[in-house]
Amino acid sequence: MDSKHAIMVEDLVKTYPPDVHAVKGISFQVPPGQIFGFLGPNGAGKTTTVSMLTTLLRPTKGRAVVGGIDVAEEPRRVRRAIGLVFQDSTADGELTGRENMEVAAGLFGMSSAECRGRIDELLASMDLKEAAGRRVKGYSGGMKRRLELAVSLVHTPEVLFLDEPTIGLDPQGRAGFWRYISQMRKEQEVTVFMTTHYLDEVENLADRVSIIDHGKIIASGSNDALKERVGGDEIEVRVGKGTPVLTTALSAVPTVREVKREGDLYRVKCPRGEAVLSSLVKACDLPGASIEGIRVLRPSLDRVFLELTGKAYREEGYDEGRAAASSAFHRRRQGGG
Amino acid sequence: MYRELAALLRREYLRWVRAPMWIVAGLMMPILYLALFGQAFDLGKLVPPNPQAQAGLSSALLGAPDYFSYFAVGMVGMVAVTSSLFAGTGVIFDKQLGILQRTISTPARRSVIFASSLIFRGFLVVLPIFIVLGLARLLAFIPGFTGLTVVENVGPAGVLEIVVGILAISMAFTSLFLAFGFLFTRVESYFGVVNLLNLPILFTSNALYPAGTSPLWLQHITAYNPISLAVNVMRENFFGASYYAYPAYVYLGGLLAWAAALILLALALGSRALKTK
Ligand SMILES: Nc1ncnc2c1ncn2[C@@H]1O[C@H](COP(=O)(O)OP(=O)(O)O)[C@@H](O)[C@H]1O
Ligand SMILES: [Mg+2]
Repeated sequence: MDSKHAIMVEDLVKTYPPDVHAVKGISFQVPPGQIFGFLGPNGAGKTTTVSMLTTLLRPTKGRAVVGGIDVAEEPRRVRRAIGLVFQDSTADGELTGRENMEVAAGLFGMSSAECRGRIDELLASMDLKEAAGRRVKGYSGGMKRRLELAVSLVHTPEVLFLDEPTIGLDPQGRAGFWRYISQMRKEQEVTVFMTTHYLDEVENLADRVSIIDHGKIIASGSNDALKERVGGDEIEVRVGKGTPVLTTALSAVPTVREVKREGDLYRVKCPRGEAVLSSLVKACDLPGASIEGIRVLRPSLDRVFLELTGKAYREEGYDEGRAAASSAFHRRRQGGG
Repeated sequence: MYRELAALLRREYLRWVRAPMWIVAGLMMPILYLALFGQAFDLGKLVPPNPQAQAGLSSALLGAPDYFSYFAVGMVGMVAVTSSLFAGTGVIFDKQLGILQRTISTPARRSVIFASSLIFRGFLVVLPIFIVLGLARLLAFIPGFTGLTVVENVGPAGVLEIVVGILAISMAFTSLFLAFGFLFTRVESYFGVVNLLNLPILFTSNALYPAGTSPLWLQHITAYNPISLAVNVMRENFFGASYYAYPAYVYLGGLLAWAAALILLALALGSRALKTK
């Protein structure tokens, strides 16, 4: 019964002694070959969940089955079946990229003959071939992340766990990293469990999404279903001069749900922004309504949150800088104490 | 299991050879002690050259022909402590850098992860010990230098006792400090404790000066100090048994007990640190 899911989680609970209720009873399944996005703000319980699924943390209650194997009963077999990209870098900076991969392969019991081809292949597909002989401490942030990915794939895992793999990367680096994930998925059949606090990352990649907050899953579903719940995209249309006639014209465009006028600025809500752009432009073909600007706003995590919890996203103004700072904080937390 | 161990040892080795200053400093320290302190400080020169006084000196040095020979063997104990002071730092850095997390997320057995640290760190202690002993012995053949003069005929059994003794004292201190590496997550805490321990361990032993002059309570401590036990095993084999209450294997037995106890301590703290929380 378990084998038809790559991951099966039932009422999973983690309480850090004495009373930090990090994960408060979550359940979900991931079918084989899918990408599952686990979305939530800092401190929501993402890393705790990943740690339990990857046998690094013992669940307080509940059950988790990964690759058909119970994580509490046979942790070593689970470890053999999974790959893991940690939130923080784990490569040894004093070793070269290739050496890091060789050590990882050895830890999975692979002989050097066995792993050589695999390592070459992964280094090539992560664009690390040239850098493979250099020490990792000289790598850029993006290269380090790609190396982590290569390391986690060396034993060809069935299920790959990515814990906020793009934290601390600039937008370009983030986009790049996900391109490699897509590339990797073309080359091998693997189930991916990824956590992130960026909605756009799950939006472009995940087949299914669960949103976790305060240790509880507050919403689950496909991307479209989730976006649907928060009212989909918002399109901002700025015109030379706004008129009530234009409001009516925009509202009449198919699939448009709501139009709000703020002077010369119109906010148009609809499930899929791109699909209605040309119709919106046509609707503006009225005297005096020349378009001065138009842009599609994706539903933000903030809005998902507002919709689902009735409160603003806990970390307002979350941005790249904060992401980097929080990553450094996590590193310190793990190291300190 | 063998491949996992090989992979971990290789990583340790690569880190080590890439920090050349570390190696140079680690090996130079004992050599400098031998060359400077050992050569400059000759207890024998303080003693009048009459036969009675010389006999007294020989007894104080427990049969060693000169202070350098006495001191060179004591250096083994000293090097065992000073080279193992850093044994736990690797684990602490691995914890801080997430490398330990990565390692324990693989199917490699915890016992193998533990063993790789113990073996490699132990090697870093055994290596300078043999260098020191070899160098001290070599100096005996170079004119103008005082070297380690061996008085007795050391047979195969004696050599075995000495080698096992060196391995045991190395493992004992490697385990002790490795245990603190597993216990602490901060280098500051680690060195706080390590610095607190290393001098008392060293100076309650008979490694550097004869124990006969110290108060009785201290002599009792000295008798059970693992460094004293290791040094006794070697001195008894090198300089003769007449000043010792027990044959060398008795001291070796005591030393092995220390090593076993400290390995168990490291194992206990190690398995706690490597365990799923
Ligand atoms: N080792 C720990 N001990 C106590 N509390 C912890 C520990 N690790 C995490 N927590 C707490 O558990 C909650 C969830 O943390 P985490 O799973 O790291 O969240 P996320 O990965 O979503 O940012 C947070 O409140 C965090 O402070
Ligand atoms: Mg996290």
